[in-house]
Amino acid sequence: MFVTDFMNLLSWSVFSKFDRSNRTSRSRCIDWNRAIFTVLAAVLLFLGTPQVALAQTATQAEPETVDLSSYIDDVIDRVTEFTLDNGLKFIVLERHVAPVISFMTYVDVGAAYEEDGKTGAAHYLEHLAFKGTTRIGTTNYEAEAPVLEQMDELFEQLQAARAAGDEAAIARIQPQFEALKAEAATYVQQNQMGQIVEQAGGVGLNATTSADATRYFYSFPSNKLELWMSLESERFLEPVFREFYEEKDVILEERRMRTDNSPIGRMIEAFLETAFPGHPYGRPIIGYEEDIRNLTREDIREFFEAHYTPNQIVSAVVGDVDPDEVRRLAETYFGRYQARDSSPEVMAVAPTQTEAREVTLELPAEPWYLEGYQRPAISDPDNVTYQIIDAILTSGRTSRLYKSLVEEQQLALSIQSANGFPGDRYPTLMLIYALTAPGHTVDEVAAAMDAELERLKTEPVSAIELDRVKTQARAGLLRVLASNQGMASLLPEYEAKQEIGATCLVNWRRSPLSPLRTYSEWLRKRSSRRT
Amino acid sequence: MQWFHQLQRSQHRKKLIRYSFIALATIAMILLGLGRMPALAQTARHYTELEFEPLPEIQLPDYSRFELDNGIIVYLLEDHELPLVGGTAMFHTGERLEPNDKVGLASITGSVMRSGGTVQHPPDELNLLLEQRAASVETGIDPTTGTASFSALTEDLTEVFGLFAEVIRQPAFPQDRVDLLKSQIRGGIARRNDDPDEVAGREFQKLVYGTQSPYARTVEYATLDNISRDDILGFYQQYFHPNNMILGIVGDFESEEMRSLIEAAFGDWQPNPNLEAQLELPEVAQAQTGIFLVDQPQLTQSYIQIGHLGGQLNNPDHAALTVVNEVLNGFGGRLTNEVRSRQGLAYVVYAYWNPRFDFPGTFIGGGQTRTDATVPFIQSVLAEIERIRTAPISEAELTRAKDSVLNAFIFNFQDPGQILARLMRYEYYDYPADFIFQYQRQVEETTIEDVQQAAQEHLKPEDIVTLVVGNAAAIQPPLNSLGSNVEVTQIDITIPEPQG
Repeated sequence: MFVTDFMNLLSWSVFSKFDRSNRTSRSRCIDWNRAIFTVLAAVLLFLGTPQVALAQTATQAEPETVDLSSYIDDVIDRVTEFTLDNGLKFIVLERHVAPVISFMTYVDVGAAYEEDGKTGAAHYLEHLAFKGTTRIGTTNYEAEAPVLEQMDELFEQLQAARAAGDEAAIARIQPQFEALKAEAATYVQQNQMGQIVEQAGGVGLNATTSADATRYFYSFPSNKLELWMSLESERFLEPVFREFYEEKDVILEERRMRTDNSPIGRMIEAFLETAFPGHPYGRPIIGYEEDIRNLTREDIREFFEAHYTPNQIVSAVVGDVDPDEVRRLAETYFGRYQARDSSPEVMAVAPTQTEAREVTLELPAEPWYLEGYQRPAISDPDNVTYQIIDAILTSGRTSRLYKSLVEEQQLALSIQSANGFPGDRYPTLMLIYALTAPGHTVDEVAAAMDAELERLKTEPVSAIELDRVKTQARAGLLRVLASNQGMASLLPEYEAKQEIGATCLVNWRRSPLSPLRTYSEWLRKRSSRRT
Repeated sequence: MQWFHQLQRSQHRKKLIRYSFIALATIAMILLGLGRMPALAQTARHYTELEFEPLPEIQLPDYSRFELDNGIIVYLLEDHELPLVGGTAMFHTGERLEPNDKVGLASITGSVMRSGGTVQHPPDELNLLLEQRAASVETGIDPTTGTASFSALTEDLTEVFGLFAEVIRQPAFPQDRVDLLKSQIRGGIARRNDDPDEVAGREFQKLVYGTQSPYARTVEYATLDNISRDDILGFYQQYFHPNNMILGIVGDFESEEMRSLIEAAFGDWQPNPNLEAQLELPEVAQAQTGIFLVDQPQLTQSYIQIGHLGGQLNNPDHAALTVVNEVLNGFGGRLTNEVRSRQGLAYVVYAYWNPRFDFPGTFIGGGQTRTDATVPFIQSVLAEIERIRTAPISEAELTRAKDSVLNAFIFNFQDPGQILARLMRYEYYDYPADFIFQYQRQVEETTIEDVQQAAQEHLKPEDIVTLVVGNAAAIQPPLNSLGSNVEVTQIDITIPEPQG
């Protein structure tokens, strides 16, 4: 009943879930973001460790549960993957249960790639990617383009005048700027791209920006495959970042709503700054207000040129499609992109932490308690262990923290976790958070949490507990397989983050020496050591 | 699932036909010495140059509907894609039927029914049995419905379905679980003013329906204190009977076997001959009109709701009002274009007709905006409402709105669970089973005049309630500049203290 979705708080989107038109699809998307976290473990567990699971349960009275291999085999058979000459990857999953297709353009670049002082650029770009192209969203691009450039020049002059406190200059430039803004508006066909998608029967059109990645997605009826190819390729082939200054106001409203006027929004910002000093994960994804105000169209253009290179993009197409047709169309449409070198990978190493750090915010609201622990990146073999720890602590009514803090001691109204907070490309945090129950304090919650974590460190996890978590992970995977949107979200993330996505699903069967075997070996050792 | 297979086959056939045609054409070209492969979609085309084949016609998947001797109405829909089974039971009850001095009773009953375990299986045991199998059984009562649902891997179906039936038929309602939940609800009351968006949503409903209306009233420390375990048992016994239940199951099962399982678990459950045939639903009338303010000096934004009492889904103007919704909202909707994209006044802005199945819903608009833009924001939204009432929408807008609904119609049929849930909802509210297809036809037939007439009849400026949750002192120009002789009524949201 007191469920707050941290993935929601950490992924910023162009349209709010509060908006009627995207209400259902948005919330579905959030569910899937969450599901991914659980399922990530599931795939590893399942693919890597069927033998281990059997070994684990051999001593239990419970029989081994569902054998997913035939269902996974079936998925593997339906996955096709290819890379265009320019480096752009496609993952296609055929699923013919209904004549619909879900699409996802996964750009392997998030807010962590921003320069200091230009926070918010990745999210700003995500908003502007809805503004059209040289042909969509404008009545006359040739006439529009010079106006946009003049505005940029005036904006820079305005910024300089503001910095110098030159009121006279501001008073002189501001009206010129407003006049140009009005002129530019006359060329705009507002939200035309979204309109084309919706009119053609597209649903769930939205995008999200997180610390690690930017996702653009929607679904079409299956007869509109080529329409997606046309619109989506054009979107990043010749984007025009129009209505730049109007959108700045929209983003500032978004920041006010989700950070400034939200107690937990403010807490997250302060918490991350404390947990990751000097690290990209320590900065707000939406950006600092001052940075958002200062960002120029050129900044966004530079970010786009540097990072939206074909080799940083993975597209997923899931549903009622013919993979050969997808490939043919992808080559025709996305083959238009020029191969470009992407910027070097951001090397973000979290500063070594030697003692606990704390931050307290006093706000006119009831208390929340958040506790984060450093954990390695998703690529680390220990990732699976953290997924299991997370499930043991907070997943379901039988989980240790829920049972102890919510049911038995009744110190907390709810207790949840965000594993991989705020991202997991780099070493990150496992976050646990709780809402205090009436009459109880955050100190009591902290002490009770500590006791459970201490128990985890000193007592082996019981086989039955581990078995439960693994069974739930497998079932979680099955439930995602039943969703086009879920799979469209899952596959490219695997591909990008672990290189164990569809390729490895395929390799797993073809090559017994795939990285998954390593996981399998690893987990077997760990399991035997622990039990 | 026959539908889906048929559908695949027919598409496959279509593809075969298409490819044969291409093959013939290719051969012809080669024979004619044209040489290279034809340029079928081998050059990228702008969206305006594309044409699309029609989608196959929608057919409902095979499902069965039958009634047990004790009155349970059952829907079964097989879906063998994955080894999963899920089901939902609906009971005619709801929070709207609880007494005014015991607000919270229905929701507590719906919650403890599951959290309190059953006569045979205390809570911890039940939790373990289910979670060890990655299964779930959940229950709840919302304003208009009681539900119990389960989800299981196929191989655990018998056992999980047994637990599901136990939860429905023999919930234990232990005192300690009742107390735990009441304490959690107290915690919720204490936190209910922490999020300004929640405050705006809640207070708007109270203004439209009235603070004591079953569709708007809130649980308070006092009403919570009035609720005893006997009340909970009484509420449960009043509504949870087989002749008050609709059961739907979808997934990987054989219908014959499933039917036996249902008979075994529910067949001996005796109906209640005294069950009221028709629930007496609360009267609904709009409570307030005018401008209202919740002062929250810490905010830098105003959270705004604008609207009035609305109508039901079975209103003959429903399709035309859907078109109104489409024209106003979404990407390229008037409000998004004007208030968000052009004026940059908000991240969220909307106004839509929000009908309900069996009681009047709302027409509700709003969003959030920086404090000093409060009045311009309200004026802009009101202006759009006025515009759609007084001027006909354009032909292009009508086409766009209808296309959006009709081209996306297939998404109402993308998975069997969704199809079954809709059929059950129609049965529950006594709507025709083909209601969604009637709606589709009505959208197809909607004209500009229909839209204009519906907007004029159903959007009522004189009834509008405007609610602002924001920093009163900083709202400049002030709210009373919204008209002449405007009175702004302050709402006090202080939470009444617990007694004793």
